[in-house]
Amino acid sequence: MKRMKMVDAVIVGAGAAGAFYARHLAESGRSVAVLEAGPGWQHTDLQSSLIWARRLRWGGERVATTGEHPFGYGFNAGWGNGGAATHHYGTWLRLDESDFEMRSRFGRGRDWPFDYATLRPYYDRIQKAVGLSGDAEAEIWRPAGDPYPMPPLATFGQAEAIRRGFEAMGMHTAPMPMAINSQPYAGRAACIYDGWCDAGCPTGALYNPLVRDVPGALAAGAEIRNHASVIRVTSRNGRATGVEYADADGERCFQPESVVVLAASAVHNPAILLNSASDDWPDGLANRSGQVGRGFMTHSVAGIYGLFKEDTEPFMGVSGAQLSCRDGYGKDREQGFGSYQWLIAPAMKPNGLLGMAVTRADLYGDALHAFIRRASHHMANMLAMGEDLPDPDNRVVLGEGRDGYGRRPAKVVHRFTDDAMAVHRHAREEGLAVMRAAGADEAWAGPLGTAHMMGGTPMGSDPADSVVDGYGRSHDVPNLVLAGTGLFPTAGANNPTYTMYAVALRGVERLIDDWDAVAA
Amino acid sequence: MPLDRRTFLKGATSGAVLFTVGGVPAWLTPREARAEGADLRTLTPAQARALTAYGEVLLPGADEAGLAHYLDAQLSVDPAESLLMIRYLDVPAPWNGFYSGVAHALDALAQRRHDCPFAELSADAAHDLAGVIAGGEVADWAGPPAGFAHFVLRADAVDLVYGRPEGFDALNVPYMAHIDPEAVA
Repeated sequence: MKRMKMVDAVIVGAGAAGAFYARHLAESGRSVAVLEAGPGWQHTDLQSSLIWARRLRWGGERVATTGEHPFGYGFNAGWGNGGAATHHYGTWLRLDESDFEMRSRFGRGRDWPFDYATLRPYYDRIQKAVGLSGDAEAEIWRPAGDPYPMPPLATFGQAEAIRRGFEAMGMHTAPMPMAINSQPYAGRAACIYDGWCDAGCPTGALYNPLVRDVPGALAAGAEIRNHASVIRVTSRNGRATGVEYADADGERCFQPESVVVLAASAVHNPAILLNSASDDWPDGLANRSGQVGRGFMTHSVAGIYGLFKEDTEPFMGVSGAQLSCRDGYGKDREQGFGSYQWLIAPAMKPNGLLGMAVTRADLYGDALHAFIRRASHHMANMLAMGEDLPDPDNRVVLGEGRDGYGRRPAKVVHRFTDDAMAVHRHAREEGLAVMRAAGADEAWAGPLGTAHMMGGTPMGSDPADSVVDGYGRSHDVPNLVLAGTGLFPTAGANNPTYTMYAVALRGVERLIDDWDAVAA
Repeated sequence: MPLDRRTFLKGATSGAVLFTVGGVPAWLTPREARAEGADLRTLTPAQARALTAYGEVLLPGADEAGLAHYLDAQLSVDPAESLLMIRYLDVPAPWNGFYSGVAHALDALAQRRHDCPFAELSADAAHDLAGVIAGGEVADWAGPPAGFAHFVLRADAVDLVYGRPEGFDALNVPYMAHIDPEAVA
């Protein structure tokens, strides 16, 4: 085995959380090695094509997705520098105050180890650094926070069409807060509304890790090793001692360190810990609680579509959403417990998994041509995103068999709870009613989908039922830190990237402050 | 024979994929490869005929756009480099078995019901059989789940016909590329 030079910190994953930690630790003077399973993407790799966009998705060893409602790993996961955030849509909503206190307020799910007020300053600092576009006053549902640094993005025909429907039903809409520049900000250009966000934004108008954290980490001296596939974290006397990985040539390497930061994703973080089982950790490293892998969550998605007489310009805008409605964010309703939100008028292209053609999978032949021609100028769409409560039986486990390194594959088992399905059905019916109220000639709904991955290594105050503390530090292994959406004890119904960054900022600053104690 | 990453990307950045025509390597788009009768690397001729015929039923124009050569090129690279929609759908790579299985099932179904391979069906018979496959419940279908096969092949055809700048032009929709998608071929 090749033994690498000792570093202060080894970070697994160069996605949003890993690159963020790498930049901050390197800028604080720490030596940092980042092990990234995929390629070292550059901005110039982000070609404007939903076909090309597929190379940004996971391309490593197989992840099995099972259960009654399998999680869509292939579409949601990332691969290479920037991870899933390279192809994320920049829909940056804060979680609601209630999301942090689910157990205390409702007796459901878990409480976070801190409340919204504790996280608010980190949200505010992140939005100032990144630059969000939106209208805080118009968002009647938004918890307390600084106004957005930029005005909202422009809206186009389909947003205006759907807005009519919400208004007709007495519901509210507001510009969706987006990590996309509505005007030049932080040295980055303004958005030109071309709708190619899914393929990554090479101009940096949509914030992603290739914009700041990856180059910032490299400039501060961090080393990113691409095509480095982690095998396990080694440990001795209760501390992590290093990371074994296979390099780009398949050679087994050992990277010794003072601190390990696992930022590999909500699926691969628990898989790595479970694959790091040893005599001292028979159930997986840092898993005295038995919670590693448990409480995996995703959001339910209901696509609602309509065809209008007017020209809706569905190809214009951004892939995330033009407008937001969170009238359904209250947890308790007759039709199931949990929140949902509307992402209104994402830009659409003819092809792709979220494209026009997929919404009418029943059509083929000349009928499909006719539909695509009409939809290209007259379609409108919106997505309901629903909350998934943490269920210990929804989990990341290790599958059968071992690869040449002795590693077992990750497997995700997932089923939406009855409440989550009831919320999904309710939102679906509401969405169809909105589309009809908007004046659509035709309105239809798509099948149940999944978006985002959260949980599996939950934060908590009690080491008996959580994996890490409120700063992402393992309860069991003092020099092991976890980062990313896997830390979320509950999911809420809002897109998770913004909250992930706020949590990561809180965690990395504490790690830097406590470095000597953690790394000792 | 799989293409290595360097060879694939070299061609990809010039807007084409390496095919062989009459024993001579050439960088071609799938449409050009079809027109010039380029050799297939992964699919057999029979598989290519079945998949092409089915794709043409699902979205007329897919054949001329080079569906078989597009699929063949993407199945001939490392799965991590693949551009196929199936990459999103949590089907274990490599996907050669999926496509060869669909081709086999198409021909077997057509043979049982019409006594000929799928590519030799009349237009009406092919259209009707595609509708049966789309329904998903096909008692004498012996391959990957029929409804799923329909979904994937249909998506491939849409990619090729409407997912590239020429397709946007046909729809009178501005492509508005930040970076032109040369690599898609």
